[in-house]
Amino acid sequence: MTAPDLTGGSDDAALAGDALPVGGALPGGGVLPGGGALAGGGPGGALANGGAGGGTVAGDARAAGALAGDAVLAGPAVAWRRLSRRSMIVRPLTDLVRLLPLVAGLLILHTRTGGGLVWGVLASVFAVATGLVHWATTRYLITAERVYVRRGLLNQKTLSVARDRIRSVDVTAHLLHRMLGVCRVNIGTGRNDLRPGESFHLDGVTRADAELLRIELLTGTAAPGPPAPLAPLAPPAPSAPLTPAAPRAPEPARPSGERTTEILRLQLGWLRFAPLTLTGVVVLGVLFGAVIQITNATEINIAATDPVQHVVTDFTALSVVQRILVGGSVLLACYVLIAMVGYIAVFWDFRLTGIGTDTLRVTRGLLSVRATTISLARLRGVEISESLLLRAARGARCIAIATGLHVGRGAEREGSVLSPPAPRAVALHVASAVLGLPEDLCAGPLIQHGPAARRRRYVRALAGAVAVIAAIYLATRAQDGPAWVWVSSFALLPAAALLAADRYRSLGHRLAGGWLVTRTGTLARRRNIISTDAIIGWRVHQTWFQRRQGLITLTATTAAGQQHYSVRDVPVAQGLALATAATGELLQPFLRKAAAGDLAGSGVAAGDSPRSGVAISY
Amino acid sequence: MRTDAIAADPLLPGLRVPGNRVSRRAISYWTARAALSGSVVLIVELVFAGMSGFPAPWRAALIATFVLAALHAIIMPRWRFSVHRWEITDEALYTRAGWFSVHWRIAPISRIQTIDSHRSVGERIFGLANVTATTASAAGPVRIHGLDRQLADRLLDQLAVATGQTPGDAT
Repeated sequence: MTAPDLTGGSDDAALAGDALPVGGALPGGGVLPGGGALAGGGPGGALANGGAGGGTVAGDARAAGALAGDAVLAGPAVAWRRLSRRSMIVRPLTDLVRLLPLVAGLLILHTRTGGGLVWGVLASVFAVATGLVHWATTRYLITAERVYVRRGLLNQKTLSVARDRIRSVDVTAHLLHRMLGVCRVNIGTGRNDLRPGESFHLDGVTRADAELLRIELLTGTAAPGPPAPLAPLAPPAPSAPLTPAAPRAPEPARPSGERTTEILRLQLGWLRFAPLTLTGVVVLGVLFGAVIQITNATEINIAATDPVQHVVTDFTALSVVQRILVGGSVLLACYVLIAMVGYIAVFWDFRLTGIGTDTLRVTRGLLSVRATTISLARLRGVEISESLLLRAARGARCIAIATGLHVGRGAEREGSVLSPPAPRAVALHVASAVLGLPEDLCAGPLIQHGPAARRRRYVRALAGAVAVIAAIYLATRAQDGPAWVWVSSFALLPAAALLAADRYRSLGHRLAGGWLVTRTGTLARRRNIISTDAIIGWRVHQTWFQRRQGLITLTATTAAGQQHYSVRDVPVAQGLALATAATGELLQPFLRKAAAGDLAGSGVAAGDSPRSGVAISY
Repeated sequence: MRTDAIAADPLLPGLRVPGNRVSRRAISYWTARAALSGSVVLIVELVFAGMSGFPAPWRAALIATFVLAALHAIIMPRWRFSVHRWEITDEALYTRAGWFSVHWRIAPISRIQTIDSHRSVGERIFGLANVTATTASAAGPVRIHGLDRQLADRLLDQLAVATGQTPGDAT
């Protein structure tokens, strides 16, 4: 694989033959105490190595013997690929940057007591050593059927996955990666038995290699020939069809025959939805945590500094009402600003494109660029989610439900976002462009769950409100507080009733055209649309209270997205009929014959094929 | 596999009861486990009460805990035994478990990826085992607790044969 690297872009040429200028160029500036150690030591020397810049080294056949029992791996022509040598820099620097507050504290300690520098140097040496070990011991190999990754020095681990299990390829590059021209490749499979820490990722692959990997793994075309083994300075073979990618340039040219259609691109007007999501809160939390960490490490008392003291004295000079107004508006302004900055940082230049007929590509990010490729055959549905505020502004987000991409609270982190918070029409457009979903499935009415479910919602909301009121009453009595505190808390009751009414309205399901639609939630209302042939099994859960009201919670287990999608508090007969209509033969043997007759009477034929598009209409 | 007459599930009209019960020794195992955790709680409370000299509220709390723990250890295992059931057909694995709240799980045999059997210390003492069948979905494992050990081994063999016959895993 030396060809792309030697011709590969201006960043390679700048680094070859030069020790990396550590001190000034990095975001951490000159604070790193180990800066001197890094520039003079291993990585700098390794980079200044003839003309072979930061390329991958081909042909290490000695790896062959370690994997017993696999004929392919024992062959003589096995060529394990390595990460880019620049990964030796990325790892230690990422670790050091993460420890920045601590390191800054140590530096300041050193200037006071003289002991901290030793620890700083030791820490950086350790970080460099782990980076070296990581580069030297991580290799990957792609054969016709499987992908192997080997890493670890003392504890050597080999992970492998069959190539037909690969569902998505996620390429991320944060600021440091981009400066060095490398990125991190995450391979998403349908496996669930990998322990945390054993994920399929390759951190520190050059950008050109990552692009080749993506094409190879997802479209199945072979890489341009195995490199000549054991020839360290082999002349470049003119086989790479790609033009190299310059930093922040548009996508490299694809092999002919692949059409790209752009489905969605970020519009700046969508910034108005930024404060309506939780991104701002999360970023605020992170900032707050970092500030606390720094103040702890450096023993600086922020509250005692002059500017803060001025503000505090001015603030306490105001009356109570003014305090609330001023404080509230300042907080609101800060929150809006931070949310917008966060939105831009995460969704800058968001593009959703379809490549050929079978892959989707999502690219986004400002400082940290992320490109996720999803195989369309494994896209099993979408989730259209709207938080309460977003709903008021008629906005929504669209998230992919695909095997190999886990959807969690941080859907942005996991790379499965198909449309950022945007007007609802945008999310609907994406859903129809990507999966061909009709609009009435994505936004239309759903079958409600009946009076028992509504009663349950009201009871739970009001019981919660009563509990809170009782707690406030006890607290006020214990502290001899004024009576208006707990009397005014009675306002929670109508608020709880409104919440319950909305929760009931949000609850619903539908089955049509081979898609199962289920919607729950108020504060974060999610409409999950899943293909019925992605449903692997069913779970039915019934608490004692649900049993008295004749309700169940029906859950479809899938291999995609959240792994389980629930239809909550649905009447028993309706739920079982839904499951039977969705996956015909699976539930059939376990139904009571008499009940099967009941189901037939209510408009669903038992044994209906799953994709016949029967909509339940009672 | 012995199958009862196809009876409606009293807990969930519409589904039928899975055919097989778990082992009777599971009642003793669950009782022992409940008694153990109850006594741990009681001992902790005794320690705290003793440190403050056994005042009246602590005595009431101790008595209440003892009564609750005893009721739990007596009622829960029998209730659980009557609810736990399992069945394997040619196409699917069907279980029912729980006591206060009940779960039913159905997984098609063709989609089962791995089958494991675990035995904790307590289960080994009572000669029990539990079987877990995982599917491609992380939320999909089907567990059968409280099986007799030899039955669990036979079940493992049977499931291994049945699952080996279908390629692909619907991911």
